[in-house]
Formats: sequence, C-alpha cells, structure tokens
Amino acid sequence: MSSAATPMPAAAHLPPPPIPPLIGGDKTLAGVTRDICQPLEARPTRLWWIGLALAASALLLGVVSVVYQIAMGIGVWGLNKTVGWGFDITNFVFWVGIGHAGTLISAVLFLFRQRWRTSVNRAAEAMTLFAVMCAGIFPLIHMGRPWLAYWFAPYPNLRGPLWINFKSPLVWDFFAISTYFLVSALFWYFGLIPDLATIRDRRWPGLRTRICSVLSLGWTGSARAWHRYETVYLLLAGLATPLVFSVHTIVSMDFATSVIPGWHTTIFPPYFVAGAIFSGLAMVLTLMLIARKTMRLEHYITSRHVDAMCKLMLSMGCIVGLAYGTEFFMAFYSGNPYEQFVFLNRAGGPFRGAYWTMVICNVVIPQVLWLQRVRANFAAVFVISIFVNIGMWFERFVIIVTSLHRDYLPSSWASYTPTIIEITTLIGSFGLFFTCFLLFCRFIPVIAMAEVKGVLEPASDRHPSAKSGEAA
Amino acid sequence: MTTPLVQIDMQYWKSPAARDGYRENPLPPGVNRRSFLEAAGFATSLVALGGCQRAPTEYVPVLNAETDNVRPGRARSFASTCGECPAACGMLVSVRDGRPLKMEGMPEHPLSRGGLCAVGQAQTMTLYDKHRLAGPLVATKDAHEESTWQDVDAQIAAALDKAAMTGGAVRVVTSSSSSPTLRHAIDAFLKRFPDGRRVVVDPTSVSAILDAHEQTHAARRLPHYRLEKAKVIVAFEADFMGTWISPVEFAAAWKTGRTLPHRQAAAHHDELHGDELHDEDAQHEAKATATPEDEKLSLSYHVQFESRMTLTGSNADERHRVHPGEFGLLLSHLLHRVAKLAGQSGSQQPFAAASVPSDILDRLAERLWQHRSAAVVLCGSQNVADQALVNHLNHLLDAYGNTIDLDRPSQQRQCDDKAAALLVDELRGGKVAALFVVGVDLVHDLPAGEQLREAIAKTPLSVTLADRMDDSAAAAKFVCPDQHPLESWGDAQPATGLYSLRQPTIRPLTNTRSAIESFAAWSGAAGTALSLVRTFWKDHVFAQQDREPDFTRFWNRAVHDGFVQTSAPAEQDQKAEFTGDTPQFVTTAPARSDLTLVLHSQVGVPTSRHAHNPWLQELPDPITKITWDNCATFSPRRANELGIADNDVVELKLDGGQTLQLPAFVQPGQHDDIVAVALGYGVRGTERFAEVGPQWLESVPTVGDNGRVGVNAAPMLKLIDGTLRFVCDGLSVAKTGRRHVLATTQLHDHIEVPANVAPPGSQPRPIVQETTLAEYAADPAAGAPHAHHVEGELWPDDHASGQHRWGMAIDLNACNGCSACLIACQAENNVPVVGRDEVARHREMHWIRIDRYYAGGEDDPTVAHQPMMCQHCANAPCETVCPVLATVHSSEGLNQQVYNRCVGTRYCANNCPYKVRRFNWFDYAHDDEFANLALNPDVTVRMRGIMEKCSMCVQRIQEGKIEARRQGVPLEDGAIRTACQQSCPTNAILFGDLNDPDSAVAQAAGDARRYAVLEELNVRPAVSYLRKVRNATKESDHV
Repeated sequence: MSSAATPMPAAAHLPPPPIPPLIGGDKTLAGVTRDICQPLEARPTRLWWIGLALAASALLLGVVSVVYQIAMGIGVWGLNKTVGWGFDITNFVFWVGIGHAGTLISAVLFLFRQRWRTSVNRAAEAMTLFAVMCAGIFPLIHMGRPWLAYWFAPYPNLRGPLWINFKSPLVWDFFAISTYFLVSALFWYFGLIPDLATIRDRRWPGLRTRICSVLSLGWTGSARAWHRYETVYLLLAGLATPLVFSVHTIVSMDFATSVIPGWHTTIFPPYFVAGAIFSGLAMVLTLMLIARKTMRLEHYITSRHVDAMCKLMLSMGCIVGLAYGTEFFMAFYSGNPYEQFVFLNRAGGPFRGAYWTMVICNVVIPQVLWLQRVRANFAAVFVISIFVNIGMWFERFVIIVTSLHRDYLPSSWASYTPTIIEITTLIGSFGLFFTCFLLFCRFIPVIAMAEVKGVLEPASDRHPSAKSGEAA
Repeated sequence: MTTPLVQIDMQYWKSPAARDGYRENPLPPGVNRRSFLEAAGFATSLVALGGCQRAPTEYVPVLNAETDNVRPGRARSFASTCGECPAACGMLVSVRDGRPLKMEGMPEHPLSRGGLCAVGQAQTMTLYDKHRLAGPLVATKDAHEESTWQDVDAQIAAALDKAAMTGGAVRVVTSSSSSPTLRHAIDAFLKRFPDGRRVVVDPTSVSAILDAHEQTHAARRLPHYRLEKAKVIVAFEADFMGTWISPVEFAAAWKTGRTLPHRQAAAHHDELHGDELHDEDAQHEAKATATPEDEKLSLSYHVQFESRMTLTGSNADERHRVHPGEFGLLLSHLLHRVAKLAGQSGSQQPFAAASVPSDILDRLAERLWQHRSAAVVLCGSQNVADQALVNHLNHLLDAYGNTIDLDRPSQQRQCDDKAAALLVDELRGGKVAALFVVGVDLVHDLPAGEQLREAIAKTPLSVTLADRMDDSAAAAKFVCPDQHPLESWGDAQPATGLYSLRQPTIRPLTNTRSAIESFAAWSGAAGTALSLVRTFWKDHVFAQQDREPDFTRFWNRAVHDGFVQTSAPAEQDQKAEFTGDTPQFVTTAPARSDLTLVLHSQVGVPTSRHAHNPWLQELPDPITKITWDNCATFSPRRANELGIADNDVVELKLDGGQTLQLPAFVQPGQHDDIVAVALGYGVRGTERFAEVGPQWLESVPTVGDNGRVGVNAAPMLKLIDGTLRFVCDGLSVAKTGRRHVLATTQLHDHIEVPANVAPPGSQPRPIVQETTLAEYAADPAAGAPHAHHVEGELWPDDHASGQHRWGMAIDLNACNGCSACLIACQAENNVPVVGRDEVARHREMHWIRIDRYYAGGEDDPTVAHQPMMCQHCANAPCETVCPVLATVHSSEGLNQQVYNRCVGTRYCANNCPYKVRRFNWFDYAHDDEFANLALNPDVTVRMRGIMEKCSMCVQRIQEGKIEARRQGVPLEDGAIRTACQQSCPTNAILFGDLNDPDSAVAQAAGDARRYAVLEELNVRPAVSYLRKVRNATKESDHV
C-alpha cells in the first residue's frame, strides 16, 4: 500500500542511458501516473468519438458482409476452382503478422533488457491481442460451413474413430494461434495488474474502480508482491518468446508443406517470422505515432523509441528483401521449371502490380531509414510505416494468389478478382481492430505506468518516500 | 339366469328380492371386482402407453416386392434407340424405381458400338423438363389456350376435310427423321389428299451429298461411310466426330484405325501383352504381333482440310486451314493427281495454285492412291459440284464398295433442300392449305424466319407437333406436343438393313401424344404407338429377316436387343453404279469476298431443339471451351487486324443486309478470312435460363442482352441452288463497343507457358506426351521426357491397398475430346448446373474435364485433348492437409471425399496439383422438383460449402462388388464400368483393378506408352495415360 513506486529491480541498477532520455518532459513519478490516467478519467475527446464512429461503422460494414457471406455461401467471394484462398487467408496471415510485434516487444525485448520497450509494450501487446482476434476470424469465416468450426478441436466425441488430422497444418495453426492468443492475453493481463491497482487506488468513483479492484487481484505493491511479480513476469516472457517464432513458423507451414510451386519452400518459416515482425513493428509505429499525437504522450514516446523501432524495422525489411532474392535464386538454382515459372510469373505475370507494390513498399522505401534524419522525422516514419503495412499485406496476397492462379496444369489457370464483399470484409477487420484499440485507449492505461516509472531518469527521480501515497 | 350350484366365487344375497330382482354386483357374470380392476388397469396403462408413442402422421408406401419389372433400388437396363438426332445410336436406358436416369451406350449396336454422345446422355434433362408442353394447345386471338385431344382432333379433322375437298396442298414437314413407322404413318395420312407431300427440312442439312450421288450414281442416297475400313481419311470441313451425320459411329470407326497394341519398353520387350481392347480384330492383331518392330504397328492417316477449328480437325494427323470457297479447287487438284496416278488423263486445263503447297498435295494423292480401296474422302460442303468431285475421287480410289457403302446406304439423313426451298416458296406464296411440322422449328431454323412466321400464321390449317412453344408453334394454330422419345414407342432405321427399336421407359409425364399416334389419329386409323410400330414391323421388318420364323418371338427379341439387322429389302437392293462422266474440274481460284461467314452446328447444342437442355448449354465446347453462348470466332491474325478482342460484341453484316450482333472470340487455327458462328442458339424460351445458378449481389444473368441464350444465326443462312448454304460470302464486321463476357472453362491454354514469363530455355510441360509413329515403332517409349526415378519411399506406405486397387488408364491416342464423358459423369453423379456467371468465375462443377492444349504457332496450332479427373493419388496431397479428415484413402486405392465431414477449408483443392476438386460455392438449385427426378439416388446431392470430386463412380464399384458377392463369383474385370468409360465412343478410358495383373487396366499400365501426369511429384496417381502417337512423318511437323 505504501511503496508502490519502488523502482523495478530489472532496470534500476543499469547505468543511465545515453542521451536523449527515454522519457522526456522531466517527469515525476506522480506526473507519470497523472499523465497516463488522465485520458481515462476525462470525458473522451471529439477526436476519439470521430475515430470510434469511423471504426465502428467499418466494423458494422464488416459484420454485414460476413453475415451476408455466411447466409449465401463462399461464392460471394471472388475465389474459384483454382484460387481457393484469396483475401481471406491473406488477411489472416496479415493480421497474425501484425500480432507479432506485441509479444516481441514485451517478451523478447524484455529478455534482452531493452529498456525503451516500456513506453510501447502495453499498446503493442493490446494490438497483438486485437490483431490475433482479427486474424482468428478469417479461418472461421473462410470455411464453407463455419458452423462446424468446432470440428477443428480435438474434443471427445461420439463419432467413433473420427478425430482431427494431426498431419494438417491447419490443425497446427489452430493450436499455434490459440496458444499464442492465450499466452499473449495472460502476459498482457499480468503486466496490467500493478496499473489496474493504480487506477483502483485513485479512487475514481464508479464501476471502473470496482472492476479494477477485482481485476488487480488485491495487489498491494509490497516488496514481496513485486518480487513474485517480477519472477512470474520473467517466466512468462520466457514462455512467450518461443511463441513469437512458432506462430508464424506454423502459419508459414500452411504453405511450405504443400506441393504448390511458390508455396513449397523451406525458406518460409524464417521468412514469415521476419515478415511478421516487420509488419508488426510497422503497425506499432503507426499506432504509437497516432496515440502520441492524439493522447499527448509526446514525453513518453520519444525519438529514442521511434529510432529504435525504425532500426529494428529496417533490419527486418532487409531480411525480408533478402528472402525475396533468395526465393528467386533458389528457383533458378533448383532447375525446377514450375518453380522458376512461378517466380517469373510473380514478377511479370498478371499480378505483377501486386508483386512490385510489395517490393517497393517492403524493400525499397524502408531503405531511407538508414538516414538518422528520416528516423527523427515522425511524419516521414509514419508514412513509411503505412507503406510497410501495405507492402506486407501485398506480400501475403502475392504468395497466396500468384502461386495458386497458375500452377501445374495450364488448363486450370485462372484469375482472381476480389468481390465487393471481400473488400468490405477486409475493411470490417480494420474496423474491429480500431474499435477495440480505441476502447482500449479509453479504459486501460496505454502506457505501462509501473514499467515506465522504472526507466525514469535518475535526475528526474524524486525521493520515492515523498511520493509514497501516489499509488495508494 | 341360473346360478350354478357350485361356484368358485360364492355370491351371497341380502334378501330374496335382491337375489332375484337386481344384482348388487353390476359386473357381467364371470367378471368380478378383481378382474375388473385388472382389466381396467391394463386398459388404462395401454392407453397411457399408447399415448407415449408418436402417432404416425402419414404413411410412406414402401415397395418391397419386385413387381412389374421394378426392383426397388436397383437399376434395370432397357435397350432402346436414342432419339436426340437422326443418327439413332443404340442405347441402354438405365431405369430405377420407374425413372429412366442414365443413358448408356449399347456395346452390341453395330453402328455406335457402345458409345453415346453428350447430347444423347443429356436427354434426361429434356425428359424431366417442366417447360415442355403439357398438352394440346389451340391458338386464340392473343395466345394459345389449353385444349383436349378430342377437341383438337375434331377441329383438325374438320379443317382437313375441307382441304381434302378443295384439293389444297397438305404439307408435312419433318426433320431428318429416321423413324420408318413415322414416315409410314405420315405417308398413310397423306394418301387421302390429292396434293399431299412430306418435306424434310434439316437445319444441319447434308443435302449436297445426296444430290451429288444422284448426279454420279443415279441414286439419291446418303452413302454409309465405313471409316473402320479406311487407312487414309481425307475430310473437307466434315466434322465427322463432332456434328457430322453420325459422330459416335464415326468416332468409334476412326478409333479402329488408331489402335496400337501394348508394347513394353525397349529394354525388355520379350513378351507382348494381350490387348485390353474390346475390339476383337485389334486383339487378333495384337496377338499376332510377335515383335514390336513388326510392321503391324500402323495407324490410319487422317487429313483434314477445314476453315474453322473443329473437333475432328483437332485430331487430324495433318490439318490444313483452307477457305471453304477453295474446296473445289483443292479437290480438283487432288482428283487430277489421283487420275494421273490411275493412268487417266486428269484435267486438260492448267490449274490455279491452291493455298496448300503442291508437294503436300502430291504426297497426299500418292498416299491415297497407294491405299486405294482403303481410302475415303469426306466432304461437308453444301456445294453439289464439290461433292461431285468427291464422288469422282472416291470412285477412282475404289472407295465405293469398300470404305463407302452405297448399296446399303445410310438412312440417317433424308434431307432434300430443293424440296425445302420449294416449301418455303409455297408457304410464302400462300399456296399451302394445311401445314404440319414435326421435329423442326421452321421459323427459327430457316433463313427468312420472319416471313415464314407470317406465312404460317396465314396458312388455313397449321399444326405443329413441337414439344415446346418454339417460334413455329407460336405462329401455328394447333400445337399437338409430341412425346419425348423416352416416353413413347418408336423406331429408327439408321441404315438400310438395320432397324432399331425404341421402347418407353416411363409413362408419359404429361398429356402429350406421340407423333405416330397423332398422324394415325388424323388419318382416321387411331391406334397406340405400340400397336402402330408393331404392325409396321410385322408388315415390313419381319419379312426382311429369316432368323426368327415367329413374329412374337421376333418382336420380343427386337425389344430385348433394341435393334434388328436384316437383309436389304428388294426395292433398295439395286446396286448404285458409278455413272459419272468426266468430272467438272475447278481450275481457277475462287472469287471471294474479304470475309466469309461460316455457320456450323456445335457439339453440345447441335440444333435449336437442344437449346433447352441446361447440361448441354453448360457443356464446354470441345475446342473453344465456351459455355452458354454462341459467338463469332476470328483467327488471331484477323482479330488483331480488326482490333477485336475476346468478348467484344461485333456486328456481322452480310451483303444482303442481314445483321447479327454477338460476342467475338479469337480461335487459333481458324482461317484468316472467315468468321464462324454456331447455329441453334437464341432459341425462344431460353429466357428461362436467366436465373439459372445462384442469385446474389454481383451475379450476372445467364442470358444475353436479347434475353436468350446466344443469338440465332439462322437468318444468315441461304438457300442457293437447291441446297442450304452454311457458307456466306460478303461479310463485313464492325465493333459495337459493347462487351459480353463469354464463359469459358479454360483460357487459351498453350502447353507452353507465356513467353514473357517463361523460364529461359524451358521445355513445354510434359503433361501431354506424344510421339510420332516412326519414332514409336523404333522405340516403344518414344516421347517420354527424361525419366524420374523414385528410389523407394521415405516412409512405408501408410495405406496399403487390400484386395483391389482401382485405377484408370486413358489412351490419349483414342480420346478425341468429344466430351461425352462430361455429361455421363454429370448424369451419374448429380453434378449441378451453375450458370454462365459462375462458369465465367471459373466455378464450373464438372468432375471430369477435357483439357485442350495448343502447341505450335497460333495460326495453325496442333491440338491435344486430355481427360482430367481426380487422379486418386496414392500419396495424395489433398489428404494430408485436410484438418478434419474429410478426404481419406480407401483400402481399395480410392481417394474418398466424405461430404458430411467436410467443413470447406478448400485447402485440399489448393494443394491438388491437378486442380480437379470442385467446391460448392453456393447451394446450387435443387428446387425444381421435376428436374430432381433425374437425380441418381445412389449419389448424395451436395450442400454448399463442401468439396467434391471424381469418386471413380464408387457407387458403381460397390454395386459391382455386391453383385459379385451375391452371385458368389469373383469380380470379373470389366464388370464395373465407370460412367465416363461406359459412354466413351472411342473406348479411350479403361477402369479396373490394378492389383489384378490380367486386368485390362493393369495391362495398359504396363505399356511402354504409359505415363502419369506430373509423375515427378511422386503423388503416385492411380490414373495412367498412354502417350499419343501421331501418324506424322516428322516430330517437327507438329511442334
């Protein structure tokens, strides 16, 4: 009850970071709490309402589309006998990819003692959850008979020997995604506990305080609680880390284990993981730059954070670029004419527009991030992050559609054009994502207060005992 | 009422009065309280128990005894004759629970030999069509009103009496019907009229052939072509395997000359396997072949001269694109050369050069001469002069009596276009007092249809026997709908000496009347079709045979067999001798306009009569792969010049002013100076197809701007010099700027990948493998790309096959791409119709498809046809990826789709290298309860959201196995035939047990020509292909 602001041992003993500081504005511990809780306690801004209205409208559009699709049949999508997956699985892989940065930032960077992660991890983890929710919808609705989706689960049943097919990568997906979602949610919730206690203790009257007091599980902020908390957090980070790599590895196996040229490549697991982190970081950047501006978090999300994220994004972009080149090389080197054709067809065939969009957005444009000037220019970084998001969506589209539309037998070659329903469903998934995110901004501290306090500059650090009542 | 002295239950009395007057105990004697309570309790509990049961609300009659030839749940085959076209192929109608469901070829039939074309297979859809007329109609001021047969007959009889009195012209127009009883009935009907005539109007006329024989042989006959005897076949525009005269018969005969014995690879060709073929001659040949080097390895040589790419031309060993106007010159060239070789003078005048190089013609003439008496020239031209040249050529080649039978001619066509032209004039001139139309739509199918419509409306008595409201019926006073051939007795005489019987397989579904009965009724000699046919056969057919002395036995045998072969009757016994004098050589190049219109009939929808059949409308044309439309085809070069692309709507205009607007399609291999358009489209009533297929936000109606399926091209036809001309000079083309998307199941697929994305130095994909005869003779495995050796499997076989391992072998040398198997499969497996828009979205549902590939230049490509269906891979890529085990391997080597387990992820379809899986994108319509009668009860109707594909007719496999077990005999090879195999006119598909080394399919799989498509993926398909062997001199000729 008294010493909630005890600095976190993980970060406290480190030497002060080089300039510029991670948290600007010469913040006090109380100031951090005030700043971050303020948007939760004030009436929502006009901007928030506009954003929510847009997001909810998009969500509604998506819901209508999905209801129509389930009522009519998959035929309302532009798929055909040759291209059995289009926007559906593209969106799925895209959203799963987006969902990677959260756990990467919270777990992997935590293990690597990257202190700058503290300002972004909460939002990134929330983003992960929402992105995985968006992703999870697509495998459900892409089924011809979605009402039988529970057949994916290996539950005891009365159908005799009928069981799921453990050889199928879609089953692996089912386990990978659900595990990832559960662990990410747990990790996120666990990280929230001290902040929920802070909200509870600010005694803002009403339902929220009561909910927070239940959800904070009687957090006292005692040294013993902190000790236990830090241990569990570390263990959870250790558990979550392999998931960062396993999820997209398994998603990539949907393709890698097939016989379709363009899918059947062993490079896919690392290539997909790098791509996922790449797109996830881009989405985190996009969201954080918006949040920073609209929620006045300039002091918490500083050029240090953006710079670090840009560097990480650039390196991932280069890995992805290398993967693109390697695919071509392997096709050439394999001597497999089907494989060679698929890659030439990507670059020169009917979907070459999508291919070159992908290359330009993912490989060419991020190269400007080599310049410190660009990394410091938040407007430029925002634009680049949007391009990367677009590029990564097209990457999945290119992999899925261009490989399918012209495979082995030229007699079955076909084209693919999305219908209006597919486009509105994609818009709807963004609606779901942003609706969730806006509600999150409204009800949950977007920045992990307890963790940020741990990385405040010693110079700004007031005497902890003077602030003992703040979290109480 | 006396009380017994001794009672078991003593009854006590209170008083004497009580004892005598009344009974205290009200129960009947023998019943006491105890037993009453017992009974009451029992009854109460019975009532209570009874109340617990669900009361039956309705009773379902269950047929559990064999009655009246119906064995519940089991199909019975009845021999009959196909009535869809005058070729009159023999067929077996498979009837189950009183419903004819599946048309199968009749293997014993001397002409069709077990095959049945797509049109014949599809007739159940016509039978169970709720849009057929349900009874007689009489025209009133505004519309046709329903009537009764008595009323209609009375009115017609009254009108006929008037016509008979006034001596007015009575005309009965029939199509080329080969029913002798119907002809007889019509002739009997016409006897009472002084000016009564039967006129044959055939929209796909071959009248010029008959006319030419009248000139050269003094006998107006259609020769019976015996292609099975031909070593060299030269065809001019005759699409004899697609639409010309008798395609199934000709395809089967053509295949006889394309049969190769099984040979093993050169490394160990010590033994030669017996033949799988059901053709005994070929089997003999194969057995006689001691070594592969033997010269018995021969193929017939097939040359096609044609202006558009036809199914037949696509199978030719040598194909030349020529303008239809040039046939006379080319024939003269050939005739001149052959005459020289025969030691005759040939033409005295010099020839203009033909578009085909002189040395090719020299070689062809030599080849013809070398194979004289085993060579035949066929010609589809409607120019009598051309046909006369053909007759001269065939005469010189000694074809008559060998490859052409004129003494026992074909009766499949009786077209006489002179008579047809005369009829048109009479009608227009108002000289016809009574007109009867049977089996043809005059207004739709003839040029100047509008004038004919008015003329028919003005005719005092106009009767049509159309089974639907076609254009002629709409103009006629009385509509007396004929029955469907499956509903009525009938017969056919496809050739002299061959009578074929048709028996009904279902009671007429509506109040229709067979044409035979109608004419008998109008002649005043009413009778049932059965009695009329039987009487005719007794009087005419029975006398011509000597096998059966007793008519009843003869009749029963005929009904059982479906056909009777007789010695030719006396009046047709006259030999037709060649009486031609010197041929009229064409020595000058034809004068012709820049563009010429070529009208043709299409394989799927050969005439307007077939336009109402959704299966046929959705059957991809074997060459263009277009469904649900006709179009104007242009050669690639001409399209490029005119700036026309696929789907552009163009306006075709003839010098005479007739115009036609329809979408363009670029067709490789077509002559540059022609535009080809299919007839038989734009039929009245096809508006019904507007909403076939799923209706949703972005769906497009199946019909075109005119509200119908396709556009009627018949107004462009011409009746010149007594023949109906399908070739019209003086065509101009203009773009309209509109577009109409043609739904094709395949794009313009070249076997090579597009040049701009082709890997450098890449070879054509070895999907269709082929070789030439010379190379094949030298090496049985010629044509194989480099072999892929699989050194064992990494894993043990996880689903070893048990007693059987079902497999197929498809001989690409026999498959001509006719697509009969598609409809056979559709009928057998309840494959839904999806409509134009869905096909355009590449969502057709056919379980088997014929892949058509072009190779070589766009102007003059070689074509290959390859049937493709589920390959039932032993290492099936689809099976591993299904998350819910909805597609699994059976212990008999089948890849099975479990419909009710499928959740529809489509992963299996994505991972199928052959792309043979079909997904139910929507709930395809099964709400037409009438059409649902055509569904095969053995096969589930699939709901939306699930995957389906070829099951190798697993229901037939089960039936065959059960039957063998029931009889206690081992399952014989050939006892189970899949639907596609059964219908194939060329026996290109073999099915059987690969575990049985003696089975035909295992034998074929051991052939050196055997290969598997995409073998290198090691999916181990159960379907083998046998390499195509072209009878070409050099490989370079065809690459």
